[in-house]
Amino acid sequence: MKDKLNSVLDWLKNKKVDYADARFVRVEGESIRVTNGVVDTLAKDVNVGVGIRVIDRGAWGFAAIASIKEADIKKAANKALQTARASATTVKEKIKLADVPPYKDHFASPYEKDPFEVPVHEKVGLLLEISDRLKNHNLIKTAEASCDFYKTKKLFCSTEGAEIEQDLIESGAGYTATAYDGKEVQKRSYPNSHRGDFATRGFEFIEGLRLLDQVDRVREEAVQLLTAEPCPDTECDIVICGPQMALQVHESCGHPTELDRVLGTEISLAGGSFMQIDGLSKLKYGSEIVNIYADATIPGALGSFGYDDEGVKSQRSPIILNGMHVGYLTSRETAPVIGQTSNGAMRADGWNRIPLIRMTNINLEPGEWELEDLITDTKEGIFFDMNKSWSIDDKRLNFQFGTECAWEIKNGKLGKIYKNPLYTGMTPKFWNSCDAICNKKHWHIWGVPNCGKGEPMQVARVAHGTAPTRFRKVKVGVSK
Amino acid sequence: MIGKDKLFSLFEKVAKSSKADETEIVYIGSNNGLTRFANSMIHQNVNEDNAKILFRTVIGKKIGVASTNSLVQSDLKDTLKNSFEIAKYQKDNKNFPGLPEPAEYPKIDTFHESTANYAPKDRAKQVKKVFVRANKRKFTAAGAFATGDGEIAIFNSKGVRCYQTVAGASINIIAMSDTSSGYAVGLSRKVEDLDAAALADIAVEKAYLAKKPKPLEAGEYEVILEPSAVAALFEWLNYIGFGSKAFLEKTSFLADKIGQKIMDDSITIYDDGNDLSAIAMPFDFEGVPKQKVFLIQNGIAKGVVYDRITGNKAEVPSTGHGLTANEHGQGALPLNLFLTTGDKSREAMIASVKRGILVTRFHYINGYIDMPNAVLTGMTRDGTYLIEDGQIKHGIKNLRFTDSMLRAFSNVKGISRDRQLIPSWWDAVGCIAAPTIHLGSFKFTGTTDF
Repeated sequence: MKDKLNSVLDWLKNKKVDYADARFVRVEGESIRVTNGVVDTLAKDVNVGVGIRVIDRGAWGFAAIASIKEADIKKAANKALQTARASATTVKEKIKLADVPPYKDHFASPYEKDPFEVPVHEKVGLLLEISDRLKNHNLIKTAEASCDFYKTKKLFCSTEGAEIEQDLIESGAGYTATAYDGKEVQKRSYPNSHRGDFATRGFEFIEGLRLLDQVDRVREEAVQLLTAEPCPDTECDIVICGPQMALQVHESCGHPTELDRVLGTEISLAGGSFMQIDGLSKLKYGSEIVNIYADATIPGALGSFGYDDEGVKSQRSPIILNGMHVGYLTSRETAPVIGQTSNGAMRADGWNRIPLIRMTNINLEPGEWELEDLITDTKEGIFFDMNKSWSIDDKRLNFQFGTECAWEIKNGKLGKIYKNPLYTGMTPKFWNSCDAICNKKHWHIWGVPNCGKGEPMQVARVAHGTAPTRFRKVKVGVSK
Repeated sequence: MIGKDKLFSLFEKVAKSSKADETEIVYIGSNNGLTRFANSMIHQNVNEDNAKILFRTVIGKKIGVASTNSLVQSDLKDTLKNSFEIAKYQKDNKNFPGLPEPAEYPKIDTFHESTANYAPKDRAKQVKKVFVRANKRKFTAAGAFATGDGEIAIFNSKGVRCYQTVAGASINIIAMSDTSSGYAVGLSRKVEDLDAAALADIAVEKAYLAKKPKPLEAGEYEVILEPSAVAALFEWLNYIGFGSKAFLEKTSFLADKIGQKIMDDSITIYDDGNDLSAIAMPFDFEGVPKQKVFLIQNGIAKGVVYDRITGNKAEVPSTGHGLTANEHGQGALPLNLFLTTGDKSREAMIASVKRGILVTRFHYINGYIDMPNAVLTGMTRDGTYLIEDGQIKHGIKNLRFTDSMLRAFSNVKGISRDRQLIPSWWDAVGCIAAPTIHLGSFKFTGTTDF
């Protein structure tokens, strides 16, 4: 394959293109879903192809083809070239890429048990047992359990001489109980909502989730929510659990620090960003205890890899330091705009998509607090647990997030459970009200398998390291 | 394009080696191009030649699914074998009634040569017109212009042979001033129906009218929702309410309400895959002909759509709304939605408002807050205006809404006499045809800074 890609790149060099790269990607996927004891999805998918990216006359063109024949790849290369020339008719300033060493390397993500070698009946059996036990209450209407696995092989070659092979294995699983009493519908999930938790690891990650241990609690809490009081409309101190903090970081820090959004190139779908370049190192994004890094080097985290999809080595970069906005997620094209080199955030959803700036592992560094002490220290407030709904404006300022449930905090103790909880705020004001973050013991990197961006739509697998965190005087509940 | 005869001949050969009781092969081939622009320049310009071939094999009531994107015969046979091996490990699905028998479906033309032949240079030419229009007001333009074609073939061992060629084009345009933005969108199977310059003019005037937006307090307002805003709300209502899974699992706002009044008399929404005025598609991904299904009629909850499995569970026939076999866990979904029109013009509706808000579109809606009550939240964007004494006064800073759509659409003051096709994530095989709707009350619950 390397020879085929390099041969096509040589052909493009002969056409005097400014730059070109070629990516071969093969993804093998397996999805299993069980609903109420029925395996309603047991599917395998294999997806193979090559994408060619070209800069000619200072403009981009891209073409992708579901073939590994050299003649087909060359046809795609020619289409990419012609497309770049069409783009060039509107170019105002020619594209310049930040320098990057042309690496020749192989990267493999760490794993102990290849999930594709684990017998299907073992995986199905686990999900069926979860489903059966979740369903063991007359008010549980739907018991869903799922697992997903991906095995990706990539080869990246460029006209600059890069030759990078990567082998990645990703695994995830989770479950949800939906309770219904004739008028109310409530859900609880484990280990996270929206398909569970994911990592760039093998089946040992699924085993480590200890899925069966939490089934009874999840089922009973879903039922309990049916008769719970609605979350009050008020302003109070709130403590947000780890998985919901992952969503909070994702939406209000991860997306607005993607430099392509900042530069306006994602306006047509996802929008822009309030974190403009003139605020770099000036914007007080959060309180002094807020430190957020983009770190693609953490072994096993879902947003980790060896090299991004334009051949830049994975890195750890500060985004927020002591509350100040100090960095962006960048690419070879965007980094020079702020006088930097790429910090390696360009990833594509397969061979058939161009790389875009995507989150890696965007982590809120842990603080000093024990969770118990944090609750005790909160005299009156609400504890929010596990994401249910999410919405944020197109510059990432006004957000409103809902969780599956919440608990009253009264006199430093968790009290009654609330249904349909929501909290809302404006991003910088909210993060500046952050006054406590739990310690490393409570910190976990949550895999998010479904981050959407771009036209045509691309889905990225990213992650966020978070711990339970407290925010002061937040507006809560607006659903009535 | 590979063609009907070649595809079915290949699938006959491959299916002959199947050891399953029943075998289904679904082919979705596509050749798509998309030109994306921002800051009045093309910055992304992509082409994709791809396919998905899905095998569903059945042993008794055990179902296995495997898919590939390779049409090489040996890869197809390997995928078939994978599917069969998966089926062996499956549990019986007692709701599975077997693969469908062949059925007649309307022969409609959903392909247009001009769209299929549209090249990157053609798209660039249209996009440059957008830049010129934006520049007249010293604005910049962003957006995306997509064109593509494809073929869909459904084959099964019971004799189903459905085949359809499709083509489609869509453009979205955002005109940007230094303090505002405006939006316009177009969708058609015929690319020549899209007038990029005219749509650019709409986006530019919207941005112009919205310049220097003023803040407005959150609260309950009369609203006029333009087609993109209406479609975005109903796209979410579709997802959480009109599909068989949500209905059978009782999370749908239609569950246990069939026959009851849930919205204003003037609200009728139905799914019709055979209406050529929109993005038609005459059969579903199981090869079942699409039926016209009323979801809400004159404000009364009428029903939802079904595929073979969920229909059997509900003891009704499939309505022809099955998704591909790898998505059957999601149940059936309507993909060809129509809201019926009224008798008003947009201008007359605006003129009738004493104090209210005109909304061009919504952003980042979410409908998981309280599904039985159809509570949605989201933000306005790209052109939100205060109406006073029947006139658009000025642009306002964007607002967050959080409201029950059952409540909001129970107080309808007017519906436009025309409607517009609005693309959705399934725009190769469907869309939402939406009018402008005037609501008596809509709850805005938050504000933002722009």
